[in-house]
Amino acid sequence: MAEHSIAGAGRVMAADGDRSARARFVIALLCLALALSVFLSLTSGASDASAVRVIRDWFTSTMPADAALAARDRLIVYDIRMPRVLLGVLIGSALAVCGAVMQGLFRNPLADPGLIGVSAGSSLGAVAIIVVGTTWLAPVTLALGTLALPLAAFFGGLAVTLLLYAIATRQGRTSVATMLLAGIAISALAMALTGILIFMADDRQLRDLTFWQLGSLAGATWPKIGTIGPVILLALSAMPFLSRGLNALALGEATAGHLGIPVQRLKYTAIVGVSAAVGASVAVSGGIGFIGIVVPHVLRLAIGPDNRYLLPASALLGASLLLIADAVARTIVAPAELPIGIVTAVAGAPFFLWILLRKRGVVDL
Amino acid sequence: MIEARDITVAIGGKRIVSHVDFAARPGEVTALVGPNGSGKTTLLKALTRELAYTGTVTLNGRDLSVMKPVEAATLRAVLPQATTLSFPFTVREIVRLGLIGGRSGVLPGEDARLPERALARVDLDGFVGRFYQELSGGEQQRVQLARVLCQVWAPVLEGRPRYLFLDEPVSSLDIKHQLIIMDTARDFARRGGGVVAILHDLNLTAMYANRIFVLHGGQLAAAGSPADVLNDELIESVFDCRLKVGALPAANMPFVLPQSAA
Repeated sequence: MAEHSIAGAGRVMAADGDRSARARFVIALLCLALALSVFLSLTSGASDASAVRVIRDWFTSTMPADAALAARDRLIVYDIRMPRVLLGVLIGSALAVCGAVMQGLFRNPLADPGLIGVSAGSSLGAVAIIVVGTTWLAPVTLALGTLALPLAAFFGGLAVTLLLYAIATRQGRTSVATMLLAGIAISALAMALTGILIFMADDRQLRDLTFWQLGSLAGATWPKIGTIGPVILLALSAMPFLSRGLNALALGEATAGHLGIPVQRLKYTAIVGVSAAVGASVAVSGGIGFIGIVVPHVLRLAIGPDNRYLLPASALLGASLLLIADAVARTIVAPAELPIGIVTAVAGAPFFLWILLRKRGVVDL
Repeated sequence: MIEARDITVAIGGKRIVSHVDFAARPGEVTALVGPNGSGKTTLLKALTRELAYTGTVTLNGRDLSVMKPVEAATLRAVLPQATTLSFPFTVREIVRLGLIGGRSGVLPGEDARLPERALARVDLDGFVGRFYQELSGGEQQRVQLARVLCQVWAPVLEGRPRYLFLDEPVSSLDIKHQLIIMDTARDFARRGGGVVAILHDLNLTAMYANRIFVLHGGQLAAAGSPADVLNDELIESVFDCRLKVGALPAANMPFVLPQSAA
């Protein structure tokens, strides 16, 4: 019944070319999906701790029968699963929204924050802390403690973005094409420097590095969320103001300007917002691929490319998918844990190829 | 009134337009003509601030260079030669983009219906639900024109005339739609707006333009009414073709002029 009415609604919407009602419906569904994913993530894991029990105890404030067990469960749910779920929501939505914004900005459905070197810059910062954090950069590491790694990754990404922006901006105009090409060059340079550091690393560092690069939400703690949460939330809260401008940009920069969009300010805001959010994400979770490409792409097929709906829908779907991927990552080989980057790549890459092959005629790449 | 004085545009050190004076009045269709590479599009891009220029451009007496994008967008809409699209938008979604920054000038409640009305104006009734990428080149150009019309739907807003800049609006259209589009442009002018159009068809130009600016090698070669400007000498010197204005072909040679439209 529900299936039928959705399909029916889709046909009617398509007939008059207005997909906004359908988009709102999909966003409502995605809210539900995110709530389910959060519940699933809180209740599943390597331990048999019951989130339901913890929540019930909390609400009824009765003394549980087995106090020791209840305390252990509380610890697992409050201090391990909850920060992890929150981190998954933050990073999943950041990666998906940043992907959608980059694609709008570069007018290319294959664009991704990885493309302009933000991720490579963040990696360089993180690898530097892992490898030379106890020698050359010892004062930094001592001063910042566990925050040294995320902060280094964040500033690495930001430094690359600002450098790129300086290179690509002439007389107040930022050339998106120059930025893309310079991004490839600077990515290569950052990766070469990362390579030198890896060459210098010892065996234990190499293992740390490899796991960090594969990506994981395992390092989730409340202090880390306190560090990157505000950055990501601030960047994401700027995005709704970009959606109209990004829609106009689909017609080209000149036409967007003729439509009254302050194009230069739009580009600046989008680039800074994306590098902040991606830098913060890479900083705590390493490289998690495909969320930024697959999520906006799938949603464009469902609700169309209108960024007013695409951006919030991407945030919701990105968060849900990352939570599900994380649930898989930490249960499939329990009590060990798979890096989440492997899960998203294994699931995302074939799916992406399938979309490309199926829609080749319609989506002009 | 659009007034441009001493406009010079250089791209990569090469001067494309030099020292051109230009004016377009509300209530008129002003045509820019000239051979390929004569600087028509470059001049139009300077007048719409898409390219950096030296000289001054004023729109209704206000200096264009100090206007905010949204101010300029309420005074004029621009139709580019071609628009490629990177995402699968429907026709309605494209036309609706015309309402983003400018002010259509219709009552607030009527904005939602404007895409249909604009599409009807360019003879694309019933196209709202189609995907833009699935349309032919001529249909796409008319969808873009509908979008541009939405942006400045009322030719006069709060007593101030508004303008349409059209870069080769009919170059990819069949003869019926050339006439429909040029009629739309003339109607916009008759209701108090101004139209600046780059045209290649000299017959259409003669039929629809109130004033013609002829560019040649980046400089103004002539300006005036069609009757004043279009003569044998100008055609030969500017277009490098020895053609006779107003000469009829041989009796057995068919020819079809837009002027013969009933």
